[in-house]
Amino acid sequence: MISEQGRVLEQLLSGAFICQISDEDSWRYLKTSGNADKVETHLNVLNRTLASAADGEVFYAAYQTLAENERKVLSSQFQEVSSHLVPLVEWLLLVQQASGTDVPVSQGSAIRLNSLQETIEDTPAFSEQLAKISHYRLFGSTSTTVDGQIKQVFKRLTDLGYVIKPNQDKQIFIATGKIEYLFEIIKFIDETEALSLAEQAENAVQQGSLI
Amino acid sequence: MNVQLLQSGVTLFNALSKHAELVMQVYLTGKLDEHKTSPAVIESLIKHGIFWRTEDEGVIRLKNAVRNLLESSLHDEKTRHIDANIGASLAALITLAEHYKEALFHGRFAETEAYLSDLTEHVFGLTETLANNVRVLFSRINNEFGYVASLDAKIRENQLAQTQVSELLSQLELFRFDKLSDLAGSNRELRHLLVVTLQHSFSRVTQELSLVQARLLELLGRFREFKGRTRLLKGFLLHVEQKPEYVPVNYCNLSVVPMLLNQAAKLLGDAAADVQRVEHEIELQQLVSSIRISRRHNNGYQPQRSAQQIHVEEQTSVTFVEDGLKQAVEGYFCEVIDTGQRLTALDYYQQHNLEFDPEAWLYQVIGGYQSLTMEEQQYFAIEQSGEDHPIYSGNYIIRDVELGLR
Repeated sequence: MISEQGRVLEQLLSGAFICQISDEDSWRYLKTSGNADKVETHLNVLNRTLASAADGEVFYAAYQTLAENERKVLSSQFQEVSSHLVPLVEWLLLVQQASGTDVPVSQGSAIRLNSLQETIEDTPAFSEQLAKISHYRLFGSTSTTVDGQIKQVFKRLTDLGYVIKPNQDKQIFIATGKIEYLFEIIKFIDETEALSLAEQAENAVQQGSLI
Repeated sequence: MNVQLLQSGVTLFNALSKHAELVMQVYLTGKLDEHKTSPAVIESLIKHGIFWRTEDEGVIRLKNAVRNLLESSLHDEKTRHIDANIGASLAALITLAEHYKEALFHGRFAETEAYLSDLTEHVFGLTETLANNVRVLFSRINNEFGYVASLDAKIRENQLAQTQVSELLSQLELFRFDKLSDLAGSNRELRHLLVVTLQHSFSRVTQELSLVQARLLELLGRFREFKGRTRLLKGFLLHVEQKPEYVPVNYCNLSVVPMLLNQAAKLLGDAAADVQRVEHEIELQQLVSSIRISRRHNNGYQPQRSAQQIHVEEQTSVTFVEDGLKQAVEGYFCEVIDTGQRLTALDYYQQHNLEFDPEAWLYQVIGGYQSLTMEEQQYFAIEQSGEDHPIYSGNYIIRDVELGLR
């Protein structure tokens, strides 16, 4: 039998994001004082360190020191992440608009696939948007029906760890902490490059632009 | 007891129950469609004070008192407003208490009783209003202002609720318990109503209101964060739309990589099975057996098993060329039959100058005899001549075979 610590280490080393939704036990373990230090010593042996994002909601393993190889890995990883940004952001906005509550998807948000699908099918603008999103390379759908597109999108999102499906028999998905991580990245890019994205959106709304 | 009052109250309720559906319709839609109802009914309901006609438009609406009754009984919080006018109620309380004290002083006991019951009703009315107000606020918080759709509306509702809370709190400051206590003096009933009951309700309401305030602020913070996030997402899309060639700077090439983007690659691969470990034996065996099962299940399409057309044709007949040895043996058998004499196989061999290996010849002769049917074998007598093997017992070396007729 593997110990709790071993399990957490295994997850971290296999590149997983640990949050309250994806694995509550491991997350609580890391949140308990002292445990993080224990894990950290093990990680340091492998040039890894425990990193957290979104105010300690998400844990993952980062490199402790960066040499040539690590930089290469991170660089290609970032390129991948930045190519995912547009499809993911469009998807987030689509879900937010289609759910009718005007609340953005965040960690713990439950998404009922059936009701989402119904709304999208009933609204031509949403189905167009879904078709556009699902044909991005990230999702890679070739389907022409809303049903096929939405299933492929959620399948890919589950593979990438942005949502989980707690009950295999029910089409209910729950957003994980990786969504928070995504927001952090966008926020980071916004702040570092001084894009003032929020102000742009605000101005567009005031000018009556249709977004 | 006022009989007239009782009777008119009963007729009012009768009118309400008689036109219950109409009243509910007006409650839900806001106004009455006059064409669908007879004018007499409308007139009588207006007379009872259930409906009223607005002066400018002449539209018929539900009286506020009836609406309030329905809202509180149906727990319909959607359109309920918070009545924060505590000052007026308090002033009424004080006036009634003065009346009561004066009547008591003059010994008008019938009046004192009426004043006291009035006062009791007012006090309980006030405490109920307070409790109701807090309840309305809580129920709004609990469903996170779910009755309005957009975030902006939620934020506005939240701000409204906050002003209502501060209004309520400032109104609560009007409670001057020292004055109330002075007013009650040593009168037991008054003290109970004005000091004990009110103070109890006051402390509970202030406590709950502070909770409400904290929750409201928290919710407002969350709504603002949501709004910020939405703006961030929309702003990002807008930015990408305006600058299609935009690609974020690759921060991983900077000298100091931000921790946020420093995510280590996955390191662990799968472990392999160790067949030497005795304690894994059972699991490994199970795995192996499951492999076999899976293979049996996965054998899907097998071309050689599928139905095939069978061509039924005449098989090309194969005729064996009977070899010389066999023909020679047949000749030997025929000679024995023809002559009727006993003849050894080797003699025949020499007479006819056969070219086979003598040993093979002998074997073929024995074999030829054995291959005859039992019936045919009975016509012949066969005798082997030879000797036992000089060294190994049980071995018999055949030197010659003699064949004759029985």
